[in-house]
Amino acid sequence: MGIVTVLWEKWVEFRRDFFKITAAALITPVMYLIIFGLGIQTTSHGEPYLHFLVPGVVAMSTMTGSFSAIAQNMSVQRLYEKALDQVMVSPTPLWQFILGQVIGGSLRGMYSGCMILLLTLPISTDLTFNWLSFVIMFLNGLVFSTIALVLSFLAKSYTDAPRYTSYIIMPMSFLCNTFFSTDQMPVGFRQVISFLPLSQSCDMIRKIANGESSGYIGFIILAAYLAIFGFISVMFIYKKKNL
Amino acid sequence: MIEIKDLTKKFGDFTAVDHLSMTINTGEFFGLLGPNGAGKTTTISMMSTVLLPSEGEILIDGKKLDRKASVEKRKLSVITQEYSMRQDMTMDEVMEYQGRLYFLPRKVIKQKTEELLDFAGLLEFRKRTVRHLSGGMKRKLMICRALMIEPEILLLDEPTAGMDALSRRQMWNLLRQVNVQNMTIVLTTHYIEEAQALCDRVALVNRGKLQKLDTPDNLIEELGAFAVDETGKEGLKSSYFKNRDEAIAYLSQAGQDATFRMTTLEDVFVDVAGQTLEKK
Repeated sequence: MGIVTVLWEKWVEFRRDFFKITAAALITPVMYLIIFGLGIQTTSHGEPYLHFLVPGVVAMSTMTGSFSAIAQNMSVQRLYEKALDQVMVSPTPLWQFILGQVIGGSLRGMYSGCMILLLTLPISTDLTFNWLSFVIMFLNGLVFSTIALVLSFLAKSYTDAPRYTSYIIMPMSFLCNTFFSTDQMPVGFRQVISFLPLSQSCDMIRKIANGESSGYIGFIILAAYLAIFGFISVMFIYKKKNL
Repeated sequence: MIEIKDLTKKFGDFTAVDHLSMTINTGEFFGLLGPNGAGKTTTISMMSTVLLPSEGEILIDGKKLDRKASVEKRKLSVITQEYSMRQDMTMDEVMEYQGRLYFLPRKVIKQKTEELLDFAGLLEFRKRTVRHLSGGMKRKLMICRALMIEPEILLLDEPTAGMDALSRRQMWNLLRQVNVQNMTIVLTTHYIEEAQALCDRVALVNRGKLQKLDTPDNLIEELGAFAVDETGKEGLKSSYFKNRDEAIAYLSQAGQDATFRMTTLEDVFVDVAGQTLEKK
């Protein structure tokens, strides 16, 4: 029930800011697709680079969509508007509030990813996107929504949210199997990067897009991130003394 | 009944609330008074579970209040000092959000929203976002939001801050009305006359510690119901007397600029705050 309340709140926000949200979700990924995919026409593993790029940009969009939907919003609600106080004092179980935020954030990420897929439809890439691709996109969104929640509970000022984007989201966007394969990275660094959630999501969506099996390791890694950050965010909302 | 037991809140080395203990009876209009930084807002924040105590506990009808206590939290509603609302929601949406957070049926939410916004004179602005409301309208909306759930306990942190004299009096009347319905009200305020006019009992706190707790009349009686003010080189000095004759005798010996008046709760407040300051 509390989950529905949070999803309703997210829907109100989405409906009101529809054009702003859609534009923000599209501008950066579309630039990447135009510049790297259509502008600088090259090949990767003997295939047009666009085939490599599209799954990566889709995964990246779900990450940025989910993360920004929660990090920005929750930091402002908690530190500037103080609107989180209304939730804290209410009888809505706080774990339901967290779950609602995470699902809502993931749906926003899915929306961003789906917009990219729609935009690439006219370009003939022969890439496959099936139900499992959408499950991975949703799971990726859940992971980054929980990370965003934890960071927004740690934030000391609402201006911290853009900093988190610069420190976490921006490096992941470029390094995590999005624009180039992690195989090309030095040993050690490659292993670290490949264990990051976006690397796993990119890898699985790309494998499915190329008609291969996604495997299950990526799901386990994403589920582990989700469990860890989900647990921390629930602990914070129940136990953090000065929320 | 609210029982506050040994409540302490520390922020690093600073103790905002220091072993505060008191009991607030059901249906009581209770005032929490103190100068800036006395720990009033911190106490209200702990009573609404936004902050968790460093030590001690709060019991509501014998059950410990914490963030998991949904049954106890269902009884509570809070009006914070700041406008704690989503700035980009309309009044209707703010009310619906509140109703949903308290699991009210949609039909009840709609009906209550109409009633309360009409009562507060806000109905014609219901589609306006919070961002575009004046300070007074935001304050009224917060009251509508708090009353929507028909709470048993209403926590009010400086509810009339920034209001003009007329709006403040309207608010007093409204609070008296809801208190008559056996709602427990805990009020923090800077306006001492507000506490004197409304509260059954007041707690005077300073530097996080409880200094005095009694009815306004008893507190005034304890200090002395009659006051003589003298203006000297060191500024205004007030002397308090238990009976009128003593005060008049003092007045006749005092200088020409001395004046006689009845003691108010503000005198008690100044006396307590001043004493604590001297001790410090």
